[in-house]
Amino acid sequence: MDHVSRQRRRASWRCLRVFALCTVIALVAAACGSSRRNDTTGTTGGNGTTPGGAPQNVVPTADCPAGQDTVGVSGDTITLGTSLPESGQYAPFIAILKGERSYFEYLNAQGGVEVPKGSGKKYKIKLVDKDDAYDAARTVTNVNSLITDTKVFSLLNVVGTKNNLGARDTVNSECVPDLLIASGAVQWGNMKFPWMLGSELVPYPLEMRVFVDYLKKNKPNAKIAVLKASDDFGQSYSDTLQELVKGTNLSIVQTTGYDPESSDVKAQVTSLAATKADAFVIGAALLACPSALNAMGDAGWKPIVYMSGTCVSKLLLSAAGKNADGLLTVTPLIDPSDPANASKPAMQLYTQQVKKYSDADVTDGIVAYGWTTAALMAKILESSPKLDRASVMETARTLTDVKGVGLQLADSTWNTSAQDWFIGETFQLVTYDSTAAHTKALGPITDLDGKTAELSPPALLRQ
Amino acid sequence: MTSRRQLQTIGLVAAIGALVVLSVVPHLASATDTQRWAQALYIGIAAMGLNLLTGYNGQVSIGHGAFFGVGAYTTGLLMHQHDWQFLPTLLVSAPLCFVIGVLIGFPALRVKGLYLALVTLGLAVVFPDLTKHYVHVTGGTNLVALNRTELAPPAWVPTWLSSIGRDDQWAYYVTFALAVVLVVATYLMVRSRFGRALIAVRDHEAAAETVGINAARVKVMAFALSALYAGVAGSCAVLVDHLANADKVQTFQLSIKFLVAVVIGGTATVIGPLVGAGVVVSLQWIISDVLPKRVSSIGVLERTLGNPAASPAIFGILLILFVFVLPDGIVGGVRRFWGRLTSGRSGAPPTAPAPLTT
Repeated sequence: MDHVSRQRRRASWRCLRVFALCTVIALVAAACGSSRRNDTTGTTGGNGTTPGGAPQNVVPTADCPAGQDTVGVSGDTITLGTSLPESGQYAPFIAILKGERSYFEYLNAQGGVEVPKGSGKKYKIKLVDKDDAYDAARTVTNVNSLITDTKVFSLLNVVGTKNNLGARDTVNSECVPDLLIASGAVQWGNMKFPWMLGSELVPYPLEMRVFVDYLKKNKPNAKIAVLKASDDFGQSYSDTLQELVKGTNLSIVQTTGYDPESSDVKAQVTSLAATKADAFVIGAALLACPSALNAMGDAGWKPIVYMSGTCVSKLLLSAAGKNADGLLTVTPLIDPSDPANASKPAMQLYTQQVKKYSDADVTDGIVAYGWTTAALMAKILESSPKLDRASVMETARTLTDVKGVGLQLADSTWNTSAQDWFIGETFQLVTYDSTAAHTKALGPITDLDGKTAELSPPALLRQ
Repeated sequence: MTSRRQLQTIGLVAAIGALVVLSVVPHLASATDTQRWAQALYIGIAAMGLNLLTGYNGQVSIGHGAFFGVGAYTTGLLMHQHDWQFLPTLLVSAPLCFVIGVLIGFPALRVKGLYLALVTLGLAVVFPDLTKHYVHVTGGTNLVALNRTELAPPAWVPTWLSSIGRDDQWAYYVTFALAVVLVVATYLMVRSRFGRALIAVRDHEAAAETVGINAARVKVMAFALSALYAGVAGSCAVLVDHLANADKVQTFQLSIKFLVAVVIGGTATVIGPLVGAGVVVSLQWIISDVLPKRVSSIGVLERTLGNPAASPAIFGILLILFVFVLPDGIVGGVRRFWGRLTSGRSGAPPTAPAPLTT
């Protein structure tokens, strides 16, 4: 028995060795024989003009796969796709989908969207959603599946910076519009990737610009303390702020990062409060915002507060109660929780339709954002001269003076062009009133149209 | 004895059947489904490695998502920034993970059981921060997204392997081949002297040392080998998912997923972790994709089962049920069931599940 087992052991060792040898040989062979097929260099974008100066399409289509231009349009239906966190930590973003669905249901009940406007041909819109739990890998899987299996015409409002960056090559090489991305990151200004466009969210660097202007006017010698998420999102705030305070009497006394996957920022804020700075910038997202405001209140610190526009939500602000009083932030939309807006026709339509088609809270700014984004998508579709991917993308990239879409601010206009790759550049500086539980406009609308690229950290625009 | 022989024959037939089915999958399934199968395979590879450590050697780790990440970033960065082909990157990522495994394995000798689990949890927490600090690639973030050209199979690959669909088949077959290689390697390893040493150290460390086993060496080797498996899995994930990414929540969830795959499939069984990975991936797919569509018109169900926010809860409940019904995993359960059938009576007592910790 012992003899047999020893023999068997020896045999298995031999097996193992032969097998190991084979593996090594195979791998070395692979290593030696590997010269990458260097046949394509990826998609390259046009810069809008030919060397001669004649205008040319903003969205180049030369490298696009043939015959895919009208995929997703069948009969009188246009199929759109989206991927967003419907489960997990970021599940509250599902409110966006509720707003979008309500708008499309309303639109379809009217017969649909007319493309192009005046042609009389109306299309119903079908929106297919997939859950990615805010995981970039799942977003990429979802996007691939939406493109190849569901065969969507275009993507709409896919949530998250990294989530869209992960799908960046696919949408640009397949020439599928990745429209109205739910992220104010500046990466959508990277001219190598023309098939992506951010939504009406205010680009993050512009928020800092408007706050610095406010301080220059109201407290020109202010010392600023900054809380930022330790990722590219938080970085866009601190980098732009640093640039903007140069040559002014403003100064940054301390910048503290926090882990973006947690919302506990008490320790960081307490340390910032010790600086007794005059101004406090909160470059944070979701629950970290009220948590920062409460920590500030606990420390007895009363600076001028600027809070990221991504935190403008009734839920988040009410979690901070009195501590949120008087903070400054920006929004591209009218505030659905302000009773003064209730009489506006746009607001009445929104309230009535969202109540009719969903169980969402109509006073929630996130629902209003979804509604407006869907309305902007419909606007882009009906402004397109033809119903194909290239024309729609070209239309989205050359918007002129778009007004009155969804809950868009009354005096704001949205523009894009060959040089201007951002939509949400006109917005309102607002202050929060905790007793009334809604925001109030502060001064006139800010119009920074076409200014995002010059205010952005250049590295983020190129990589 | 006959039942044992029968079991072996059945096992062999099942293995061949599984091989045949798995090798034709990408020719029958859609690109998305092929990707899902490939995901099950790479999670299975990592789980197999974790099984060497946890199932055979009794050391619990909930930080293998970090080794997986090291493998993924190594492959991702080499392919994206240095234009490497996929296969040669394995020559870097696998040894690198092995070495890191050795480095972590040494201090791990000092801590056991729950303490070791906590220490490894630290790995999963620290790793995403390290990438955020040192990696600035796609759009200046710690994401490494690869494009179609970078992911294309090398020129020597016969076209029938990658002709249908997008290059998902190449990704699938590479992962499949590596999984087969590692199953065979695991099979041979656990039946070798080293494998018996792993089990001896798990069951009684002091006794193992008295018969001349260098327990410290065995434990460090187990750690390093399992890290290597996780690294290879991470490399495959780049090919399958088209990116390398690390977020705290996901790295942690991945680590747990590996452990769940081991427990569901059967601890201290060769094929168990792969079976477990298949079950985990299918369950998640059914809960978050299929179920919501099926119940979308049934009012009450739509708001409960069909609600994506409920999917983690459903997954958790199913896991608890699994552990209650099949405490020794699927492979262990099948063995037990077969043993009962062939013994002719129900009197045979079920074999106790292999202990997780010493």
